[in-house]
Amino acid sequence: MTDSKYFTTTKKGEIFELKAELNSDKKEKKKEAVKKVIASMTVGKDVSALFPDVVNCMQTDNLELKKLVYLYLMNYAKSQPDMAIMAVNTFVKDCEDPNPLIRALAVRTMGCIRVDKITEYLCEPLRKCLKDEDPYVRKTAAVCVAKLHDINAQLVEDQGFLDTLKDLISDSNPMVVANAVAALSEIAESHPSSNLLDLNPQSINKLLTALNECTEWGQIFILDCLANYMPKDDREAQSICERVTPRLSHANSAVVLSAVKVLMKFMEMLSKDLDYYGTLLKKLAPPLVTLLSAEPELQYVALRNINLIVQKRPEILKHEMKVFFVKYNDPIYVKLEKLDIMIRLASQANIAQVLAELKEYATEVDVDFVRKAVRAIGRCAIKVEQSAERCVSTLLDLIQTKVNYVVQEAIVVIKDIFRKYPNKYESVIATLCENLDSLDEPEARAAMIWIVGEYAERIDNADELLESFLEGFHDESTQVQLQLLTAIVKLFLKKPTETQELVQQVLSLATQDSDNPDLRDRGYIYWRLLSTDPVAAKEVVLAEKPLISEETDLIEPTLLDELICYIGTLASVYHKPPSAFVEGGRGVVHKSLPPRTASSESAESPETAPTGAPPGEQPDVIPAQGDLLGDLLNLDLGPPVSGPPLATSSVQMGAVDLLGGGLDSLMGDEPEGIGGTNFVAPPTAAVPANLGAPIGSGLSDLFDLTSGVGTLSGSYVAPKAVWLPAMKAKGLEISGTFTRQVGSISMDLQLTNKALQVMTDFAIQFNRNSFGLAPAAPLQVHAPLSPNQTVEISLPLSTVGSVMKMEPLNNLQVGSGQGRHPSPYSPTSRAPLGSVEGRVYRQMFLATWKDIPNENEAQFQIRDCPLNAEAASSKLQSSNIFTVAKRNVEGQDMLYQSLKLTNGIWVLAELRIQPGNPSCTVRLSLKCRAPEVSQHVYQAYETILKN
Amino acid sequence: MISQFFILSSKGDPLIYKDFRGDSGGRDVAELFYRKLTGLPGDESPVVMHHHGRHFIHIRHSGLYLVVTTSENVSPFSLLELLSRLATLLGDYCGSLGEGTISRNVALVYELLDEVLDYGYVQTTSTEMLRNFIQTEAVVSKPFSLFDLSSVGLFGAETQQSKVAPSSAASRPVLSSRSDQSQKNEVFLDVVERLSVLIASNGSLLKVDVQGEIRLKSFLPSGSEMRIGLTEEFCVGKSELRGYGPGIRVDEVSFHSSVNLDEFESHRILRLQPPQGELTVMRYQLSDDLPSPLPFRLFPSVQWDRGSGRLQVYLKLRCDLPSKSQALNVRLHLPLPRGVVSLSQELSSPEQKAELAEGALRWDLPRVQGGSQLSGLFQMDVPGPPGPPSHGLSTSASPLGLGPASLSFELPRHTCSGLQVRFLRLAFRPCGNANPHKWVRHLSHSDAYVIRI
Repeated sequence: MTDSKYFTTTKKGEIFELKAELNSDKKEKKKEAVKKVIASMTVGKDVSALFPDVVNCMQTDNLELKKLVYLYLMNYAKSQPDMAIMAVNTFVKDCEDPNPLIRALAVRTMGCIRVDKITEYLCEPLRKCLKDEDPYVRKTAAVCVAKLHDINAQLVEDQGFLDTLKDLISDSNPMVVANAVAALSEIAESHPSSNLLDLNPQSINKLLTALNECTEWGQIFILDCLANYMPKDDREAQSICERVTPRLSHANSAVVLSAVKVLMKFMEMLSKDLDYYGTLLKKLAPPLVTLLSAEPELQYVALRNINLIVQKRPEILKHEMKVFFVKYNDPIYVKLEKLDIMIRLASQANIAQVLAELKEYATEVDVDFVRKAVRAIGRCAIKVEQSAERCVSTLLDLIQTKVNYVVQEAIVVIKDIFRKYPNKYESVIATLCENLDSLDEPEARAAMIWIVGEYAERIDNADELLESFLEGFHDESTQVQLQLLTAIVKLFLKKPTETQELVQQVLSLATQDSDNPDLRDRGYIYWRLLSTDPVAAKEVVLAEKPLISEETDLIEPTLLDELICYIGTLASVYHKPPSAFVEGGRGVVHKSLPPRTASSESAESPETAPTGAPPGEQPDVIPAQGDLLGDLLNLDLGPPVSGPPLATSSVQMGAVDLLGGGLDSLMGDEPEGIGGTNFVAPPTAAVPANLGAPIGSGLSDLFDLTSGVGTLSGSYVAPKAVWLPAMKAKGLEISGTFTRQVGSISMDLQLTNKALQVMTDFAIQFNRNSFGLAPAAPLQVHAPLSPNQTVEISLPLSTVGSVMKMEPLNNLQVGSGQGRHPSPYSPTSRAPLGSVEGRVYRQMFLATWKDIPNENEAQFQIRDCPLNAEAASSKLQSSNIFTVAKRNVEGQDMLYQSLKLTNGIWVLAELRIQPGNPSCTVRLSLKCRAPEVSQHVYQAYETILKN
Repeated sequence: MISQFFILSSKGDPLIYKDFRGDSGGRDVAELFYRKLTGLPGDESPVVMHHHGRHFIHIRHSGLYLVVTTSENVSPFSLLELLSRLATLLGDYCGSLGEGTISRNVALVYELLDEVLDYGYVQTTSTEMLRNFIQTEAVVSKPFSLFDLSSVGLFGAETQQSKVAPSSAASRPVLSSRSDQSQKNEVFLDVVERLSVLIASNGSLLKVDVQGEIRLKSFLPSGSEMRIGLTEEFCVGKSELRGYGPGIRVDEVSFHSSVNLDEFESHRILRLQPPQGELTVMRYQLSDDLPSPLPFRLFPSVQWDRGSGRLQVYLKLRCDLPSKSQALNVRLHLPLPRGVVSLSQELSSPEQKAELAEGALRWDLPRVQGGSQLSGLFQMDVPGPPGPPSHGLSTSASPLGLGPASLSFELPRHTCSGLQVRFLRLAFRPCGNANPHKWVRHLSHSDAYVIRI
């Protein structure tokens, strides 16, 4: 008899027939009937009407039948809560059954019945089962606690199940330990503050012991749990690493990756000089390579992870280039990922090999892959300087193939190579110009136009070339239009005599005939510049361009560090932090790598700057996707990021006015206009702001400093200051300050409506600033603000915004407004924003202190500070300035302190306090890689110590 | 943790649906998944898909989709591993994995799922452990089919294949019966290697690697001990060398957790007590340094006349296997420039076949004897705009879109690494029954064997 008859179509009497069979006396018949019911359930038929009859079959000693009934119950109890109560008695009875299989089955099923009424009956049996003599029952009960917690968290806490669960971590059976760890980890995630999984050296030891004994799946739970532990020193980290390393050769790739995660995390704590560090690096490579021989799905996931690992520690796989060579039968998603890793691993040593491969790939059939391969050649040129020449000649070879998309890609990357090595490879321009006609993609056209504009003086017929593009100006994409505008202006500045007509033409096209605000704005700016001061125009437009960064698509270091903590999870596949894709905030506790203790950076990998690496490396290379100035000069060819975000919205107020006051400050002609003020003196507005008048609105406001002074440091919160007086913003008065609670920064705002009308639609926007501050949430003002009403808002801030060095450093420009009238203002925060991760270890402090050149040291005196060392230390600590060490030298108390600004700059400080000194003068020496912040840090110290 | 697990048929019908946490949108999710999957361009579906905070991870196995969903940041590796383990497990319990077997064994599958996963946490995937808990018997059907007879020769005569285990022998449930003792005691041991090779256009070898595994499928009662003896010269790692001979060397080895390695160091013997069902005893890999010559060398020569568009490709394929061995189902695949028409061919022997398919040349050689050499001359016309007249003369530069050539083949009774199973000994003595059957196979096949032109 086959069971396929279960799937015959439902006839009218089928339910009735089943009912009869379920109530049959014969056990076999009953069993068959329940099977039929389950089969119907699976294909989506509603068999809930049979609930009472099925529950009646529950009281049986036949395990198979019981299991089937329980299966049915799990599915329908939710929709029939009243009837589910009928089953409770049997559950309770089954929990006492002599057969451990039945006890476990009962406790497992009860947890799956998500009906509130049942949960209270569940507690007693569960308590017994948690202490059951059979490990199979105990491990099932452990999971049941997690189930119950999901239904009714309060009940679980009240009943003390969490403590019992904690005890199970020390259970003799590894399977029980694994399930207890899994359950506790999950419960702990919904209570981030609770200390449920109290990991200490003893419990870690127990986990490590269980690790060797339990099943592969249990090992994953335990390893993931270990990864959350923070060893207290490098010795402990090393001993854990030693015990985890054997997992690397496990056949289950999930175990391997979880082990890799633990090792990558704890490696942060090991000194690079240690022999063990080198050994560990060597051990990490083979398992990662092995993963690449799995099926393509696993390969892809593995490659995404390797991509992260390679960015963090390229030395692990630097000799394994060959395994990333693309196989012709790899799926395209694997191919692209391999290509990416190849470029990341490219170095002088292997560049020849890589280039030869890339050239082969560039002749394959798959268009996407070919394009990416051509791009890769360009990236190699930029990354490995010695190879640039070969790359260029390879690209020229490819251009000779005349395959349309290859040519276009090649031109796009050659533009980048020109940016990186200016005035080196112009000889190829002639070849590029030959292919001008075949370019039909905007990006390639824009790149070509950029090249022509940039090297206009060396191309005899540059004007003709550009003019040919001008004919179809309005049919071009914005990217090309913007580029063409800039290129022709460049050409004009280089050859003013012959191209006057051309520039007139393009400016009028851009400003008069275009609907695109970006294009129009840029056209007006150029027009203004050229007509007022051609010399200044030359300085601006032909200014020396900042270098493009070596690797354009590196993941931001902070994000990378976070992702390293999530190796082997979905986050590592998406390359996004879990908060970006996990809903409801469960499991999104922000994780960070342990602080680095090693001081000697290996010279061969300067591009990997881990968090907490020697502080204050001011990036002298800025990413190509650029800042304000870069965008104006259109250095990047990406989708246009409109300059200051507020500028576009001010256009309605009159584009011409925009240029009135704003332009000059925008171009940096009057530096005091941008920064507004020097540090201590009250700020003065550069241009009198007057919303009604045509001049001085818009951009000039953006740079207009109002008297905002907010000091921002830990426990000390500056009183709110008026940042934006009502008269400047159509009656909206904004005052505010910065506060910090448990590591997060927020901006407390007070909005007052001093106008006569109701205000609605509030919004806020931050300009780029030195600290990367950006709103973490939109401005939430729920009700409309009626006249004379005041609301208080706390706006959480994050420090993940883009960082741009401002002058002065702590200048922050914020625009907020209501309705369609943005009113920019600049709250100036006096103290730099100290970050909670600012603690360094003693050895590192010493080494770094020595490492920073003496000329970066700045000395200050803080007068009238009657504090003793302890008081000062605790006061500073609350502002995230951490005391690393304390010494007493010749009657003076010396405090060694560290802090990290939210933009990643480290500052080390030495504070000298003379206890008996009547003048109460404290001497402060600061050392930092970026000496310009010292002044501000000193100000912060002064503010904090005196309050 | 895992929220749901479901199995869909190739047409998207749910065969099995299990919700572990009650936090998901119910059965519609399965439909959503299928729509998302079929809505994708191309046939290469992303491994991880994302929809409104729910993540889908799936594998395709025997025409079925095995899918798990989760809403948390879990390890995709463990999910993928789990899915492939589940596929094996279901195969072990139901005989084979397929739409029919699954729908005949719904109750059994649910029972298995309940033991494998509790609240979305993986509990165990070991056949051995699960045996203690599973009550339901598998429903096996043995559909009569003429195909089953293919392994038997005409009139029962022994064919060549009779030395090999009949292909259907391994596809029956391992655990179908606790009572049925009449079953044959059989053990299948396969040494399978996948070879990938990359040869540059100048003939130099760019990359070789061999991925090997030793697979075991056992129908013996669990816990019966067996010993597998490997080639004694076998050594692991780059530095280690054994004896004076050339040695059989691999770079990396990993073993299944049930393997006892006490005798491995001294005698290269693996001792294990395998559970019933399939397991991979050992995996190894070897790169760059192959002990034997590559099985095939290809000597291509290309003549291309840009002016007339005439393309002539001469391929010479030499098989460097020992003369006793042979390669089966050899197929050479050579992508051609776009729009190639009119193939004329001259092949060195009649059993070969060559044709144009999907913009590529396909040259089939059903059987290639070791040491032999085969050749083919192919002439084609490449239409399109004639090249610049300056290149009008016949050149050897190959046109765009030609190559690289790739070979696929099987090498029965051959391992590229040289690893052999010396013996397979069973400690198990069946009561009364004949000795258990032991089947040991060695097989290499190509993974990506690419020769650039």
